[in-house]
Amino acid sequence: MRVKTLLLCGALVPLQTTLATAADAIEPKNSNVVADAVLDSHLAVEGPVTGTVLDEKGAGMPGVTVVLKGTTLGTTTDVNGRFTLDIPAGTASPTLVVSSIGYVKQEIAVGTQTTFSVKLAPNTQDLNEVVVVGYGTQKRSDVTGSVASVPQDRLEKIPVSNVAQALQGAVAGVNIVASSSVPGSQPNIQIRGVRSITAGTNPYLVVDGVPFPGNLNDINPNDIASIEILKDASSTAIYGTRGSNGVILVTTKRGKTGKPQIRYNGYAGPEYMVNKLHPLDGPAFSAKWQEFTKQRGINLSPVPNIGELDNYNAGRTVDWMKLIRQQGSIQDHNASISGGTENVKYFVSGDYFKQKGIIKGYQFQRITLRSNIDATLTDWLRVGTSAFYSTSNDNGGRADLSLAQVLSPYGTVYNPDGTYTVFPQPPEQLVKNALLGLTTQREDRVNQLTGTGYAEVEPTFVEGLKYRINATYSYRPGRFANYNGRQFGDLRGTAQLINDERQNYTIENLLFYNRSFGKHHFDLTALYSAQENRFFTTTETATGFINDQIGFNSIGSGSNTPTISSFSERRGLISQMARLNYNYDSRYLFTVTARRDGSSVFGADADKYAVFPSVALGWNVANESFLKDQSTLSVLKLRFSYGTTGNEGINPYQTITGNALLQYAYGGVTTVGLRADRIGNSRLKWEQTTSANYAVDFGLLKNRITGTVEYYDAKTKDLLLNRQIPIISGYSTILDNVGTVRNRGLELSVTTANVQGTNFTWETTLNASGNRNKLLSLGYTSADDIGNRLFIGRSLGAVYDYVKTGVWQRNEDPKGQDPGAKAGDLKFQDLNGDGQITTLDRKYLGTSLPKWQGGITNTFTYKGLSLRVFIQTVQGVLKNNPNLNFLDLGGRLNIPREVGYWTPENQSQDRPGLSYINPRGYAFPTNGSFTRLKDVTLNYTFPATIIDKLKLGTLSVYVSGRNLYTWTKWVGWDPEQTYTIGNGTGNIDNPTSLLNAGTSFSNTQGVNPNFPTVRTFVFGLNIGLR
Amino acid sequence: MKRFALASAALLAMASISSCDKEYLEETPPSLYTPQTVLVDSLGFESAMAGLQSVVREQYTRSDEQGLLGMMQLGTDVAIPGQVQGAEIPYYNYNLLNSQDRAAEVMWSWAYRTINNCNQIIQGAATAPATLRQGYKNRISAEARFFRAYAYNFLTTLWGDVPLVDVPVTSPRTDFTRTPVADVNAFIINDLTTAIPSLLNASRAASGRIAQGAAQQLLGEVYLRTKQYAQAEQILQALINSNQYKLITARYGVRSNQPGDYFADMFVVGNQRRNQGNTEVIWGIEQQLLVPGATTSAQQRRMWVPAYYNIKGMALVDSLGGRGLGRLRLSNWVDYRLYTSPDMRNSKYNLKRRFYYNDPAQTATFGKRVTGLTGSDTIYNITPYTTKWNQFDPADTFGFGTIKDITMMRLGETYLLLAEAQFQQGKLAEAAASINMLRTRAQAAQVTASQINLNFILDERARELIGEEQRRLTLVRTGTLVERTTRLNGASVTGLTQKHALLPIPQTSIDLNNSATLTQNPEY
Repeated sequence: MRVKTLLLCGALVPLQTTLATAADAIEPKNSNVVADAVLDSHLAVEGPVTGTVLDEKGAGMPGVTVVLKGTTLGTTTDVNGRFTLDIPAGTASPTLVVSSIGYVKQEIAVGTQTTFSVKLAPNTQDLNEVVVVGYGTQKRSDVTGSVASVPQDRLEKIPVSNVAQALQGAVAGVNIVASSSVPGSQPNIQIRGVRSITAGTNPYLVVDGVPFPGNLNDINPNDIASIEILKDASSTAIYGTRGSNGVILVTTKRGKTGKPQIRYNGYAGPEYMVNKLHPLDGPAFSAKWQEFTKQRGINLSPVPNIGELDNYNAGRTVDWMKLIRQQGSIQDHNASISGGTENVKYFVSGDYFKQKGIIKGYQFQRITLRSNIDATLTDWLRVGTSAFYSTSNDNGGRADLSLAQVLSPYGTVYNPDGTYTVFPQPPEQLVKNALLGLTTQREDRVNQLTGTGYAEVEPTFVEGLKYRINATYSYRPGRFANYNGRQFGDLRGTAQLINDERQNYTIENLLFYNRSFGKHHFDLTALYSAQENRFFTTTETATGFINDQIGFNSIGSGSNTPTISSFSERRGLISQMARLNYNYDSRYLFTVTARRDGSSVFGADADKYAVFPSVALGWNVANESFLKDQSTLSVLKLRFSYGTTGNEGINPYQTITGNALLQYAYGGVTTVGLRADRIGNSRLKWEQTTSANYAVDFGLLKNRITGTVEYYDAKTKDLLLNRQIPIISGYSTILDNVGTVRNRGLELSVTTANVQGTNFTWETTLNASGNRNKLLSLGYTSADDIGNRLFIGRSLGAVYDYVKTGVWQRNEDPKGQDPGAKAGDLKFQDLNGDGQITTLDRKYLGTSLPKWQGGITNTFTYKGLSLRVFIQTVQGVLKNNPNLNFLDLGGRLNIPREVGYWTPENQSQDRPGLSYINPRGYAFPTNGSFTRLKDVTLNYTFPATIIDKLKLGTLSVYVSGRNLYTWTKWVGWDPEQTYTIGNGTGNIDNPTSLLNAGTSFSNTQGVNPNFPTVRTFVFGLNIGLR
Repeated sequence: MKRFALASAALLAMASISSCDKEYLEETPPSLYTPQTVLVDSLGFESAMAGLQSVVREQYTRSDEQGLLGMMQLGTDVAIPGQVQGAEIPYYNYNLLNSQDRAAEVMWSWAYRTINNCNQIIQGAATAPATLRQGYKNRISAEARFFRAYAYNFLTTLWGDVPLVDVPVTSPRTDFTRTPVADVNAFIINDLTTAIPSLLNASRAASGRIAQGAAQQLLGEVYLRTKQYAQAEQILQALINSNQYKLITARYGVRSNQPGDYFADMFVVGNQRRNQGNTEVIWGIEQQLLVPGATTSAQQRRMWVPAYYNIKGMALVDSLGGRGLGRLRLSNWVDYRLYTSPDMRNSKYNLKRRFYYNDPAQTATFGKRVTGLTGSDTIYNITPYTTKWNQFDPADTFGFGTIKDITMMRLGETYLLLAEAQFQQGKLAEAAASINMLRTRAQAAQVTASQINLNFILDERARELIGEEQRRLTLVRTGTLVERTTRLNGASVTGLTQKHALLPIPQTSIDLNNSATLTQNPEY
């Protein structure tokens, strides 16, 4: 009867009957049961007991571990979920421990029973789970700060190279913008709005407890066990200066005791171009040129260049977009082995990822190897290591999307000998053949080697005391090499080599002290750490190669204008931190932290140190006696936190007025020169964010509805701004502490179990967050700083421009309002009513920061089948749209058909005429909001009967589609992504501008060429061996 | 015991880190030079001068807005728009010239970046250690003063009252106000008169460096602008009398054995420098192919040379000047009315007027004269053009930069400035004699004193200096922009009024100057 009650509780009210982890104490309710069992121990059975383990739908669960508590005796269930276990004679109060990954563990006192039916409840998002927090872990129910755990299933079965892509739209308050789809590119992440204008806005990345010097691209998503995102001041203050933009904690998988688990996960599938712009076809291109010549009053001809005439007359056209395209594909293969004994545990994994871009020449591949080992050496000493190696490259010459968009459809692609023409539409030399990049020799690769070691000492003579030292070192060499030869149209040949090397180390000394006195629980943490980052790069360029055979491999053979340069940089950070967590009876929670950081990047005339304190309170209302005996409200927790964090995410040496190195020649002899380059600011200091966080966690109707509502109010003062100053001083910008910005926001996350049938379930997870950004003041002026686009009382990312009201038509006379205008020019509103359009007619129109965004995931399961549909939305974005600005006056270059132009006949009120030169630099602000069917995954987990026949541990297959459909009003490639509009000319006239040599801490892969969004379909397979 | 040892070791490790805190957090940039570490010895000052010259060179060698050079020629009497890029359009369609004008902003920024680099050298020389010879400090400072005067002269000519910055700025200043033209002029004149005695004369100065003559010529021009005609005459005469320079009157240099004339020889790559035989050049900005640090993105060829290769039967060749774009075209006044008598400066080697089909693949037309074109073909494809900017690199037919020296000052102009100073004092005979120096050299008819007036001098400047002179500066300086442009080239301009004699102060500088008001020029 007791067991029955327990089972009932276990099945239906998992929260109140479950245990956090094996290490945690048994909850009070259960302890009564166990205590009874102890009393009845003389009645306990000896010999075999049998039973069946059922899942939440009542189906037998194979592979479940059943162990006799306190012994090594155990077994696993068979394919039907049945088990048999011998209870040795004389076992005192025998208890069965029934556990399976992903399910809540149960302990069952055997008593006099010999047959058991155990129903395991899935371990859903319950408050007893353990979450990783800064420098440690905590029970979810004891957390006072704002810690979002990424749903585990977001990390699986989604075809992405970078785990951040999988998080897009999945976590409230986390804005992830993929500014490029180039294979291997890195998305930008913002947590709770933009706090800083100039200093870094990307969150701090911590992997397995130590700061990670690389980026998320280096981490294989398959190795990740969990991701936690720290959002409020209380949880991030512990990272002090690095915490301002939030913290992402990544925990990689580690070995568990038991026999080796061998797993393979893999997927592969095709990729397609979406959200396209379509260059005008032949007749439309010719019509556009003729309209342009008419509007400009120049000689009429069907095409701009004589070199296009033959093809025009013959009606031969080329589709440049088709020429640069190829079938894209993506694949990933991952194998891992994990396991261990009581004292030594291991996890080893290897991964190969390859993406072939949808534009010719683009590819990205990565190999990663990880080995995590933990060893308990004595009862007081534990050591472990993580070794991680990754090598990635996006080698290869590339076709050019921006050129393909502007080249004439009447151009000539190939020379008679089959090579590419350099200039497809002679005598035009402004735009080159979009395929020429395929002839370049190009290498771009990064290797990363990271080694982390830790040792934990737990002195047996002081209860609850633990000392831990973490040391991590990372070495990250990169190389970029490029050679453009004769086929590229470079008659001398030009080679460039950039080698760089990053070295980072962190040493952390941590002291923990953990004690409980009755219902009082104390948890103290103290830290002393030092971090250093070093960067060194060399760049060599040369031209004048004998031929194109060798290229950059023998850069010394370039006879003309060789140049070499190098750059070196270092930054250091010293930190001390202390934290106290206190809770009373898991009802009243209290956290106080303080961190003191000293950073090298701040000025000699300012304090390099700053202290960042925070405090947090929590109240588990549902644990109060007056709420105990009701079933509507299963979780209710109130949280409040307040604290300060800092930001030092600026490049070193900004405090020093420096010169730029250059070359100059007198009389044909090269000499080295130095010129004023930038003005230093010796008073540069921390940017500090003080924020308050108010939150409610709730669980209703036996946790069928769970969720969190949070409100935050964060003020960032001494904002670091690379502020523009009048060029009259000789400098155009200075890095300065200016002003205050406020971010307020509301975040909502709700998960509802809509249908919980035996065979069918439907679960919805919804998150939505809104952020209001407001510039409160500027230190150096009480007025708006129009030049820097900073408006007091308005949001950052301000769009400040004229108000377009239409287009001047032929029957209208613009003289009274805009004397320079002619028919076909844009018509602007005369805001101040002075009868003319001047700079005073500009106003604040909106912000490029989204007003709100969200995601909704619906998961349906039917037996082994599950379907997950994820929709993401980003709303309230106003962005300048460079696609709408005619380059080269809309003349000789092609334009997308989606863009269009005014003619006297169509009398467009939206688009200007082709000869419009945009004399006021109107930037065409456009609504950049969008909603995306981001991904859909259909998964099938094979039933035990089949797995058994195949002699496997687990087997599942899935198909997944990504970026399936986008709803937006944006005209352009993709509202989310940033495209540089040079219409090819920028790339050709100054090819070296694409290579950001010697820039501080930038990745050689950091410059994103134009690349469209891709739609991906994959087929995936997960296999676990027995 | 073991545990105790371990704990102490950890504590020791922590302590040892704390003890080196200060050093750990200090910023000592390993690869960055600063003014404090550089301006202490002559090598440091030499590097700063090379840096300053590289900034100065950017005035007319940018590519970002390729039409930029057109701002100095279009909307004046000498040129009309051709295949325009965009930046130059408000300089002939003056209705579009507003405070957000890109070209004005580029030039304004260039001037103040130059001035800042000058200020650093001048202040650095004043405070340099005593181990550095005073003579050297004076000379390097004098070179910087020349460039500072050049930049301020440019600024105040085009904008009138401008902020005067005479020391390096070390903190973010946003409180600039406009200094009256008279004070700016006094400042310029002081810089130049201070500089002249300390500068080397041309025969001693190294190639590419500023010699005395350049400062004298600039001072002469400043005196003209400030209507101090006697001082102008005196300083220009001193320049001529120094005998450091001599008009080119005979063939010389790399093409002397090929058809041509000696006026054209001055503008051939390899002939442009003093040590290459050019005795006339006073200040040339040096550029040279395949020499690191000597190439830029200069766009003169694309500006001045037409896009003849757009005509079927015409091929891109070196003898026609390489790949031009014809972004501007000489005005009909220059083409058809400027040269009224035989004149070497109007020879086929200097002003190309006739074209012959040169593409051997087009046998039907090859070798025949190009005729019968109409409309825009005669604006930027086939049209008379000055050959001063011809430049061709066989390995780079696209011709990104125009890599040849830019003649900033030469003795030919000295005589024109002198004539202007003399004319303004009523010395018409002397003025005629000065001009006849050039006309004699050009084998053109002599002028008489009665023919001399300001318009004649400005006409003569166009004949002599077309393509070299920044025409807008001359017309603004002499107060003739509106009258001459309207009279001689009126059809090509729209909306030109007297307000356009001054350019708008760039809106960015006004917007960013939060602590004081920078007033805009009238009617912008």
